[in-house]
Amino acid sequence: MGHDLRLNRRQFIEMGASSIAAASASGFLLGCAGQALEKPTMAAAVPSADAPRVSYFSRFGVDEGMIRDALAEALSRGADHADLFFQHRVTNGLQLEDGEVNRAYTRVELGVGVRVVRGDQTGYAYTEELTREAIKRAAQTAAAVADGPARPGPTAFAVGSALPQRYALDVPWDGIKPAQKLPILDGVNAAIFKADGRIKKVSVAFMDEAGAILIADSQGRLVEDFQPMTTLYVSCVAEQGGRKETNGYNVAGRRGFDFYSAETVGRVVREAVARTTVLFDAVPAPAGEMPVVLAAGSSGILLHEAIGHGMEADFNRKGTSIYADKIGKPIAKPFVNIVDDAAQPYARGAINVDDEGNPAGTTTLVDRGILATYMHDSISAKHYGLKPTGNGRRQSYQHPPMPRMRATYMLPGPHEHDEILASVKRGIYCQSFSNGQVQIGAGDFTFYVKNGFLIEDGKLTRPIKDVNIIGNGPKVLERIDMVGKDLVIDEGGWTCGKDVQSVPVSQGIPTVRVSSITVGGQGDKPSGKG
Amino acid sequence: MTNEAMLEIARNAVSLAKQKGATDVAAVARVKREVDVTWRDGKLEKITEATSRGLDVRLFVDGRYAVCSTSDLRPEGLASFLDNAIGLTRTLAKDPHRSLPDPALYSKATPEGLSIADPRIESITALDLRRTAQGMEEAARSVKGSEAILSVTTNGYHARHETTQVHSNGLEASFAGTEFSISADVSIKDDDGRRPEEGEYAYVRMYADLPDAASVGRRATERALARRGSKKGPSAVMPVIIDNRAAGRFVSYLLRPLSGAALQQKRSFLEGFVGKPFGSDKLDFADDPLLPKGLGTRPFDSEGMAARRLPMFEKGVLKNHYIDTYYGKKLSMAPTTGSSTNLAWKLGTKTQAALALDVKDGLLVTSFLGGNSNDATGDFSLGVQGFVIRGGKIAEPIAEMNIAGRHVDVWKRLIAVGNDPFVYSSGRAPTLVFDGLQVAGT
Repeated sequence: MGHDLRLNRRQFIEMGASSIAAASASGFLLGCAGQALEKPTMAAAVPSADAPRVSYFSRFGVDEGMIRDALAEALSRGADHADLFFQHRVTNGLQLEDGEVNRAYTRVELGVGVRVVRGDQTGYAYTEELTREAIKRAAQTAAAVADGPARPGPTAFAVGSALPQRYALDVPWDGIKPAQKLPILDGVNAAIFKADGRIKKVSVAFMDEAGAILIADSQGRLVEDFQPMTTLYVSCVAEQGGRKETNGYNVAGRRGFDFYSAETVGRVVREAVARTTVLFDAVPAPAGEMPVVLAAGSSGILLHEAIGHGMEADFNRKGTSIYADKIGKPIAKPFVNIVDDAAQPYARGAINVDDEGNPAGTTTLVDRGILATYMHDSISAKHYGLKPTGNGRRQSYQHPPMPRMRATYMLPGPHEHDEILASVKRGIYCQSFSNGQVQIGAGDFTFYVKNGFLIEDGKLTRPIKDVNIIGNGPKVLERIDMVGKDLVIDEGGWTCGKDVQSVPVSQGIPTVRVSSITVGGQGDKPSGKG
Repeated sequence: MTNEAMLEIARNAVSLAKQKGATDVAAVARVKREVDVTWRDGKLEKITEATSRGLDVRLFVDGRYAVCSTSDLRPEGLASFLDNAIGLTRTLAKDPHRSLPDPALYSKATPEGLSIADPRIESITALDLRRTAQGMEEAARSVKGSEAILSVTTNGYHARHETTQVHSNGLEASFAGTEFSISADVSIKDDDGRRPEEGEYAYVRMYADLPDAASVGRRATERALARRGSKKGPSAVMPVIIDNRAAGRFVSYLLRPLSGAALQQKRSFLEGFVGKPFGSDKLDFADDPLLPKGLGTRPFDSEGMAARRLPMFEKGVLKNHYIDTYYGKKLSMAPTTGSSTNLAWKLGTKTQAALALDVKDGLLVTSFLGGNSNDATGDFSLGVQGFVIRGGKIAEPIAEMNIAGRHVDVWKRLIAVGNDPFVYSSGRAPTLVFDGLQVAGT
């Protein structure tokens, strides 16, 4: 049901590929496609010294004069700040179902958003027509948020120091023909059926994306970045004795075609099969409070929900986060360190620059157990009198930026993985996840476990599945009492939703123990035989 | 962009794609005008105003299939877009099940009286929305106990969509729809450092159907204040009432496995239930795309097939799946429609308060937090918040709890539904009462 307003106002995370799954169900949505479509290409990323500063977008007729005109219009009612966000993004998808790659999706997004800021107030407008007149009209609309005398716009633009290159590709996606991609899908399909006779259905969704953005603002900054992305999503249905189970695996990153090595594809196949067939042995998960051990990797979903959203500065600026007023205070054990990092090479959540043109590095959220820094965009940074942290992100040119996560993870701690497991008499071990959600103010959050195990007397025993975990952010952080040395940044295709806007993110964590949290199973507490 | 211009773009895409070698083509041109005003704590927070447009093209080329969408409608952009898309389609495997719908199923004439497009939208400005949002905040702060408020955010939104659809086998159709919403969200300070947030909203097709904005603001504060002192209760099996506003989410887990794709791909716990009892006799609703003023109302579906009412569950018996043309062919089933619209429930006679009296002791769920449902097995586990029901009355608030079960068991325990469809969602669910669900807490 597309018409539920409330669903649009949630903060949540889910596997990105679910939108592709939805596309195949409704027949009409995501995108994918051709080789020579005017695709953003890395070749344009490094302009020569005498090249015009608008390099990539000049192919759409965008020039500095047009940008100056639009910014002047945006400032015509006396705003503090204005910026333009041009975007061209081509997404290509291929899908395999019932043994054949028999559908393709392509999506082309081209447009510009104009933002006008006065204090912490935002006026926003956008258009798909990249003409001088259309952009000026959008700027005029956005300017209505202010009501003072006009301010002058920039007369010249400075291209700042060179951006970091966190996801430069040797071969960009526009150099790869569809015929080269097809064997990846066919190979995964064949290998999965070969691996286990219980598998009855396999669907494979492959996506590659090439995006170009240009940000120009009233301070005269002009930045272009090129943002590749790819995901491979595999889902299986298996049958055994009349019972059906479904699960899968996926990988994602700002990677190129070379990402799909035999090793990567082999891992996808192995994990998809193992995670599905293990479910036939699953017993009902228990219900109630108990110790929970989170496996290294995608369990970083805990951080995303328990603290990540609550540390986005917009909620704190408004006083609506449970973490408002907690900066500088201890909130976890001294061996707990949590960061939000734009700089993980080739990570799905990596960015070279944020969507406001600010440098993006590593933001320390928790430093030795002390709450350290919120994640800021320019508006919240100005409110707090701080430098932006490069967390200003947006879904597309149709949306203004706001503070968002990038790759959120916990640094390694002092404990051994085996030591952590051995410490739990009765509890559960969580291994893979599909989605999570949080209430920023109350601090309550959930994440949904697809695969896990019971822990009985310090050992993993029977598998469990399909169980939601629910806790309260600050309480759970306090109860993280063991942290492993084995940090893994998950390679999955996570997408974070906030106020209708979706952005790609990454997450990671070492093995950790939470001394007590509510497990939403269908059965009683673990009985603890033996 | 006018209706005529969008029709021209869609026609042009169809004829261009045919020239370039497509066997069949379906083009949908969309234009949307939206105004979105957010007001917070005494001043304007954000205003977005824009008109956006896009084109989706479904290509059938030599027995192969692809879907393409673009916001780049420059003629030179469109030509190269189609060239590339057709080239791509030719690299795929053939798929004998792909085709446009049978033209006999197309919409013949737009049904009368749908009332989904309100011309009044033209005269409502961003300034009007701003005044409404401001008034909602003032009302929210006028409620007794409002000194606990940390922040009030209110919003006014409206949009007009126009969809124009042209198919190469004889369809040209279009329709417009409007939507209006107002909402208020209130954060309050609680004793233990929590800052619970609750809200109220309305979402309608016709401007005149919006409720009084001040009442929405006041209700938001009342709902937020009621969350103070939320505690986690004990784990137990107990009766659970799901509030009509929250119930749509729970019902949506029945809809996902009803799709043709879920059925054909063995991802449906509802496989094999057509004509057989699945839930209790209280599980009874139809899909009604022709409901006047409905949020899901449409004269034809995304494939151009004429909309018609479809019984889904009658007295607990499954009657239909959502089958589009493609999965219909794969399953050898007649197509119905590929997606849900408005759900028209067979309502009960009692209010939620009366249902609580009947239940005596249990849990009232007012919202869900995360969780999920497995479409293949029907296992679900969902975070909840709400209130304890004690002696038939709504008592203290609970949070950080969870409900879990299997749909195939749980819907048999649907013992009553309310007389109160939630009209601000296309799901239009009434209050639902389940006997004996597993609740997890302490």
